Amino acid sequence: MEGQPPQSTVVVCSNEDGVTFPRQREVVLTESFAVVLQASGLGGEPEGLLYHAGAQEHPGATRLEIPYANLAAQSAEIRGELLEAIERVLRGADFILGEEVRRFELSFAELCGARFAVTVNSGTDALVLALRALGVGPGDEVVTVPNSFVATTSCIVMVGARPVFVDVRSDYNLDPAQLERVMTPRTKAILPVHLTGRPADMDPIMALAKARRVAVVEDAAQAVLAEYRGRKVGSIGAIGCFSLHPLKTLGACGDAGVLTTQDEELRERLLLLRNLGLRTRDDCTRWSGNSRLDTIQAAVLLVKLKYVHEWTEKRRAHASLYRSALNGIPELDIPTDKPHEKAVYHTFVIQADRRDDLKRYLALRGIGTAVHYPVPIHLQSAARDLGYHRGMFPVAEHQAGRILSLPVYPELRADEIDHICGAIHAFYGT
Amino acid sequence: MRVAFSHLERQFANIDDYLDDIRDLVRTGDFTLGVALVEFESRFAKSAGLPYAVGVGTGTDALALSLKILGIGPGDEAITTPTTFIATVGAIVMTGARPVFVDSEDGFVIDPSKIEAAITPRTRAIVPVHYTGNVADMPAIMDVAQRHNLLVIEDACQAIGAALDGRPVGSWGEAAAFSLHPLKNLNVWGDGGVVVTRSPDLADRLRLYRNHGLANRDEASIFGCNSRLDTLQAVVGNRLIDQTDFITRQRMANARCYDEAFADLAPHVRLPRRRPGVRHVYHLYMIRAARRDELLEHLVANGVEAKIHYPVPVHLQEAARFLGHKQGDFPVSEEDSRSVITLPVHQHLTEDELQFTCEQVRAFYRRSRVRRTLWNVGACVPPPAG
Repeated sequence: MEGQPPQSTVVVCSNEDGVTFPRQREVVLTESFAVVLQASGLGGEPEGLLYHAGAQEHPGATRLEIPYANLAAQSAEIRGELLEAIERVLRGADFILGEEVRRFELSFAELCGARFAVTVNSGTDALVLALRALGVGPGDEVVTVPNSFVATTSCIVMVGARPVFVDVRSDYNLDPAQLERVMTPRTKAILPVHLTGRPADMDPIMALAKARRVAVVEDAAQAVLAEYRGRKVGSIGAIGCFSLHPLKTLGACGDAGVLTTQDEELRERLLLLRNLGLRTRDDCTRWSGNSRLDTIQAAVLLVKLKYVHEWTEKRRAHASLYRSALNGIPELDIPTDKPHEKAVYHTFVIQADRRDDLKRYLALRGIGTAVHYPVPIHLQSAARDLGYHRGMFPVAEHQAGRILSLPVYPELRADEIDHICGAIHAFYGT
Repeated sequence: MRVAFSHLERQFANIDDYLDDIRDLVRTGDFTLGVALVEFESRFAKSAGLPYAVGVGTGTDALALSLKILGIGPGDEAITTPTTFIATVGAIVMTGARPVFVDSEDGFVIDPSKIEAAITPRTRAIVPVHYTGNVADMPAIMDVAQRHNLLVIEDACQAIGAALDGRPVGSWGEAAAFSLHPLKNLNVWGDGGVVVTRSPDLADRLRLYRNHGLANRDEASIFGCNSRLDTLQAVVGNRLIDQTDFITRQRMANARCYDEAFADLAPHVRLPRRRPGVRHVYHLYMIRAARRDELLEHLVANGVEAKIHYPVPVHLQEAARFLGHKQGDFPVSEEDSRSVITLPVHQHLTEDELQFTCEQVRAFYRRSRVRRTLWNVGACVPPPAG
């Protein structure tokens, strides 16, 4: 960056996964994102601002034509309602475990076909509290997949247990055929992930869990409203864990999570665990941390709950459009729905030859994409002490080099999907 | 008259400013680790008088994450006091370490002279709590810590702005935990917490740990948790943080007014020791009162929202059973839990409300003095013959 004076310019920034918003900011124009981040004083922020490549090439008010995600568009449609809901909470000043929290929990349980829902501060906390409620701790093992967001594994490490990985199938979800092989007498729980919003193959997982008397916790972080053989995810295992992060199909205006269960005793434990172990204000029955969903966020979620069916159907419709438009490109694998599953397409993930080239090609044409996730969890440096190495989970590893998430947010228009698919066809010369 | 315990109802004189800020935020969608959080952290650090501040989900997490990042875990012991909110202990237990209690002294803070006796080869840390907004005796605590090579992590959840001889809380230990819970002196409108530290390295590791251990979007260098202060709450914090000094001064003035009004109520009312040099910020105004439960009833019946913080000391909670404590183990803490009462002291109390509260407390003891005198007179009457 030597010799290049900082320039004040409007750039289109994006945060995690390419949510875009314009910002006036001092930036040094270089080829390296990292240097730009440092120059903006945000270097080292893991989820800090990322500048779109186009913005660096063309200082000035450059706009992504189609960002990977677009929270601003969603908020625009319902902004009035959201602000009214927030204002009501402000005026009531009941900020902790207020009425909206209770109402959201009732509605969410109903949405998932579960008896109970317990809200928490994040999807990660939902997973941690689920394992704690089930008594998973040091010396125990929990079986899960290596191709999820890192929190699926972190939660196991955080309760002191050992994560045991099992490979996935072409639908990115846990391969039940390999499950038995990795289970040991120390296995306390199985943690399948409904990745991309597609349900994992729950019947064989539940059957094996029952036979071996271990609990199943569903990581449904990406899968609100997804269904497996007519049942909503989150209502199948002992506990379902959902993330309500802003980018999720049902998302708050900040971090948020929720658990579902059919079991009253588990519900009671979760209520204690999320609120410092307090049975009443003065009566602490077990030590725990504090992981409550803010009333403000519950109010936001209650507004969005009204739209989640509609938004989900739009995502599914986008997926169909992609499927028909991208059909017949031999370099691609396109996700398909099996008759017994309802996928909600939190992400629309294709597999592509020359993935990185395609991603760059699309970016230069103003099309934002993302990779969920380029480094499988067992190959993260965080996992160095777990004893895994490359080659142990060939399907997940192979997919990590080919997967690409295309924009699929509800506000995306059909002509934008056409444009994206046209660009992909052009890239492959098909 | 109703004297509210909480300041929140009066925090919204100009709610539209806040709503404008929130409207702008909702427009951008910049909800996690956003620009407003970066700004809030730097302003909080400045206000706390230390170089680094890291926003996290709650005050409890602020403490738990600090302990964890400093390597406190299973097999370790951390010393704290049973005169605190249970979250201090919850945070220690969440790391896998064992809490070890030391009694408090007059003033609701840990008694430094009793710490040494509680140290074992497994002791790794001392967690002094600046409870109620008072400041623990940090020089004495640091002295013990240094002699035994122990880490000090300050629980400053109730003590933003507090200082000892001009030195701010949080500046002694490796790190200090602050809470932004709605009832706190500086609050946001939901759960929130901040860790403050002198160490750039510790601040970096906390930033990593609170955000899934992600060094960048795709690479996790450690397995972390998710405990981020919402940008939405940072927006609120940015508006309120300028008021911290006003809030603190107002609470201190209210407390002074109470102290003066109750000075001659001894032995019914015993004020905690006010150490010279302490800038006590009065998150809670607590006194020790004779016939506390009756006083509480009297105040509540007359519209004064007094509270008890807390009727059961931490070591006697059901959750603490595994530690094997019993009544009598920590006499100061136990005696306090039987006699403390907390009066409204928030920054938006009016002069009338303050005087009314003083008067209600004084009236309670006046009336009961009369009753007691009558009873005493009655007792002198010889029992009927026969």
